[in-house]
Amino acid sequence: MDINRGDYMDPFGKYNSIISARATDKRILKKSQDGGIVSAVFIYGLENGLLDGVIVADKGEKFKPVPKVATTPEEVIEAAGTKYTVCPNISLLKSAVREYGCDRIGVVGTPCQIISTKKAIKYPVGFRHLTDKIALTVGIFCMENFPYNGMKTVVEELCGIRLEDVVKVDIGKGKFWVYTKWGETKSVKLKETHPYEQIACHVCTDYTAELADISTGSVGSPDGWSSVFLRTKKGEEIINKMVDEGYLETKPIDEGKFGLGILKKLALTKKEKNLKEIEYRKELGLPVPIIE
Amino acid sequence: MVTVAYVQLSGCCGCLISLSDTYEKLIDILNSIDLVYCQTLADAREIPNADIIMVEGAVCLDDHHAMEVAKEVREKGKILVALGACSAIGGITRFCKGGQMPKPVQGSFSALSEVVKCDLAVPGCPPSPELIVNVIIAVLNGDMEYLSPFAKYAESTSTSCGCDLITNVINKSLCMGCGVCTSSCPTRAIEMIEGRPLVSSELCIKCGVCSFQCPRIELPKGVCQLDEE
Amino acid sequence: MAKTINITPTTRHEGHAKLILEVEDNEVVNKAYYINTTPVRGFETMLVGRPAEFAPIAVMRICGICQTTHGTASCAAIEDAIGCEIPKDGRLLRELVALGNRMHSHPLHHLLTADDFIKPEEKDLRVEAIKLIQRMRKTGQLVVDIVGGEGIHPPNIVIGGMRTNISERAKAKLYYALKQYEKDAYNMYEIYTGLIERYLEEIGIPDLGSHTYPYIASHTTFGDKEAIKWDRVVEIPPQRYYENREVAESTSVMIPLYEGVPVEGGPRARMAKFGNFKIGGGAMDINIARAKENLGAVYRAMEILDELNINGKSKVTPEYKDGSGIGVHEAPRATNAHFAEVGKDGKIKSYKIIAASTWNFPIVEKAIEGYPHQHAEVIMRAYDI
Ligand SMILES: Cc1cc2nc3c(=O)[nH]c(=O)nc-3n(C[C@H](O)[C@H](O)[C@H](O)COP(=O)(O)OP(=O)(O)OC[C@H]3O[C@@H](n4cnc5c(N)ncnc54)[C@H](O)[C@@H]3O)c2cc1C
Ligand code: SF4
Ligand code: SF4
Ligand code: SF4
Ligand code: SF4
Repeated sequence: MDINRGDYMDPFGKYNSIISARATDKRILKKSQDGGIVSAVFIYGLENGLLDGVIVADKGEKFKPVPKVATTPEEVIEAAGTKYTVCPNISLLKSAVREYGCDRIGVVGTPCQIISTKKAIKYPVGFRHLTDKIALTVGIFCMENFPYNGMKTVVEELCGIRLEDVVKVDIGKGKFWVYTKWGETKSVKLKETHPYEQIACHVCTDYTAELADISTGSVGSPDGWSSVFLRTKKGEEIINKMVDEGYLETKPIDEGKFGLGILKKLALTKKEKNLKEIEYRKELGLPVPIIE
Repeated sequence: MVTVAYVQLSGCCGCLISLSDTYEKLIDILNSIDLVYCQTLADAREIPNADIIMVEGAVCLDDHHAMEVAKEVREKGKILVALGACSAIGGITRFCKGGQMPKPVQGSFSALSEVVKCDLAVPGCPPSPELIVNVIIAVLNGDMEYLSPFAKYAESTSTSCGCDLITNVINKSLCMGCGVCTSSCPTRAIEMIEGRPLVSSELCIKCGVCSFQCPRIELPKGVCQLDEE
Repeated sequence: MAKTINITPTTRHEGHAKLILEVEDNEVVNKAYYINTTPVRGFETMLVGRPAEFAPIAVMRICGICQTTHGTASCAAIEDAIGCEIPKDGRLLRELVALGNRMHSHPLHHLLTADDFIKPEEKDLRVEAIKLIQRMRKTGQLVVDIVGGEGIHPPNIVIGGMRTNISERAKAKLYYALKQYEKDAYNMYEIYTGLIERYLEEIGIPDLGSHTYPYIASHTTFGDKEAIKWDRVVEIPPQRYYENREVAESTSVMIPLYEGVPVEGGPRARMAKFGNFKIGGGAMDINIARAKENLGAVYRAMEILDELNINGKSKVTPEYKDGSGIGVHEAPRATNAHFAEVGKDGKIKSYKIIAASTWNFPIVEKAIEGYPHQHAEVIMRAYDI
């Protein structure tokens, strides 16, 4: 990544390959945000002994996410779908190993959460006998996040939907979409949601979870499909196995404007915009989380 | 072979136990260094000159002997490592205030790094076995890049505590709510509320782990590389 | 002519200490002083005015080897003070976490004493023993990691019970680890007792380190404050115990006495009081008792796993009121007692600790006296101070 060392304009970080993919299991697709990659990978891992516990963002009351250690496919499916608000998944890293007794943990998180996890692995000061048990990290693309009440404002005030009625929230085609259990769909221009973003996101330059084993998101692939970066050998192995065994169907990523092109554009937009913010804060003498 | 001395001041021995919790690997570690002094594990009674001296525990300023040892380790160690919160940044000894029998006059404890110049200071109560091994290996290999966060801690004189998350992260518009501070805390003093850490001042023992672990305070270079696993 | 021998610092044990031995012409110790020179961090005064929840977290940091026992005794004292009854499964988990600690601490002691009994040329045996010990310690620490939340300074031991219960997977994991421990502990017992018997035979002093003082113990695997008559216990300053001014000035431990005399606590005391272990033997008997206690610990730990309901409540919310209480736990090294006075504001009014090892400080002196000074440290180490 090396954000402020010149090569930051590398949009995606290191990876071995990128594909478009989606889960074949209908149960997953019914609940998942996009191609159900995250849930499918975790379920495959749990069912085949590669993982014995995964940290996910479960749905709580009124769309408030709660981190959870899931140990069964059912629990993974329950937690599928994106919550556009902060869910401190990494806060469960230790419980997963201690009271849950897991030896092979899968972690899903936004790029920043993957960075935290990687720092914990590299510098496990407070992580006794833990980091060797992180078996797989799955990153989800992320442009920005919302505080809970920020998301609430967008959903309830801008879109006019009660949170209790929401079944799905999505961002796409320049809009923030809300789907209700009564079958309604409301949307608002993404631009209008900016005032409700988490400001700490504005110093973040990682769009595609550049340090994860696998990173995935919707951008760059058709509706219902996901773009998937295979970054490490571990990540590649599990995806390849899943494809071979029919858990995932894949197709080459569209190299054009609406595929890799847009993905690249968004990644670079995030980097440029937020690097400016970093520079600005530095000028003010404020701390930024980067060292030489 | 590189000579290593392990010296204990006012600590609890937990940092050494952490090192020994490398279990079967301990023998390999001991074989890769020349442990010239470690009162809890071996019989040498005099601290010799050593390439690396690791010190556990704070310095009791009201104890003549402890003050001498603090001076001695600086003189005798080429690289002086303040290992663990007590030695590096104060930790639980920040709460000491004396008055207890039978030594009512002993009440002032300072981190070793406040008393003599240390080369590296490692927070944690205790630091994990894996981290201690990483530090030893990095010192053996002269990997200053890996060690740079610890070199910084050795220079800083500020007190570490859970409040650092407030002042250095939340107040600075940097907290994105990952939760790694929560899982790192050895006393479970941190809860995530509305995506932000809430530190219980009842439970915080000023070990410095949460703020060390936060990627928004410091993101060492090595973390940002995708190693090929 | 009589002479004085100083051994400073004493090695292969926790903390800082020295031995001052007055020795006769025949090399036999006439008078022994075992002086703890560790500065006093003052956990008792540190806690006054602090919230009760801080107490177990803080006192664990008295000792990184037996943190669990301090946390346990601390919570028990505060619960006793406010009349808080902890749920059954919390109680089981607490006993289990502390047994895990014993199952690591005892083997650690075998590690520290190994060089007293294994000869320098027995390199393979040494490596084999260390490997075995480390595997046992790993299991002990695994129990503390899982049940207590951290192997060193377990934060799940909280006032009101245990912070969380464990999962089915964690329980199974512990079960298999304990099974292996059982085998290892037996193996270790055989090796260790063999070495000790050989040692005693070679030095020709079968009762090395014997003394005539009584024992103190409250329970075999946990702790029971009712088993000890606390009105018979006093803790006196060293100035009152030692005639030698210099010694009195330099030591950092208070001297606990039971019915006016020092008492031995620890594995032998427990096994003699609650079993039929030999009374009045040499100090090496304590080493043997310790190795045997590993077996008792693992059996009880397995029993607890059977009894434990993983869906059971592990904790109640404490309600503070004015009161004072006693918390007792059998630490690896002896009876650990905490005395807490708590206010209804949930703050500590006063706090007192008789840490396990301190019982044995005066006993070590008695045990060394009458034997050749060359063996003084070996005797001291048997007490795992
Ligand atoms: C805040 C946010 C912003 C995003 N921005 C973009 C974007 O700009 N472009 C893009 O292509 N994709 C973005 N995504 C990712 C996208 O919405 C999907 O999450 C991703 O494609 C995975 O879908 P899936 O069908 O493979 O996963 P699913 O099978 O639906 O699983 C998703 C997994 O993510 C977990 N999760 C959900 N919300 C959170 C959260 N807030 N924090 C941590 N974990 C969570 C769930 O528990 C579940 O395990 C964003 C996601 C989040 C959380
Ligand atoms: S924008 Fe960055 S900091 Fe904000 S949630 Fe996404 S990855 Fe985290
Ligand atoms: S840092 Fe913690 S573990 Fe280390 S000596 Fe201090 S109290 Fe003990
Ligand atoms: S580790 Fe830092 S960024 Fe993450 S939740 Fe804690 S304070 Fe916030
Ligand atoms: S909050 Fe926890 S991790 Fe942070 S300094 Fe306090 S005890 Fe250490």
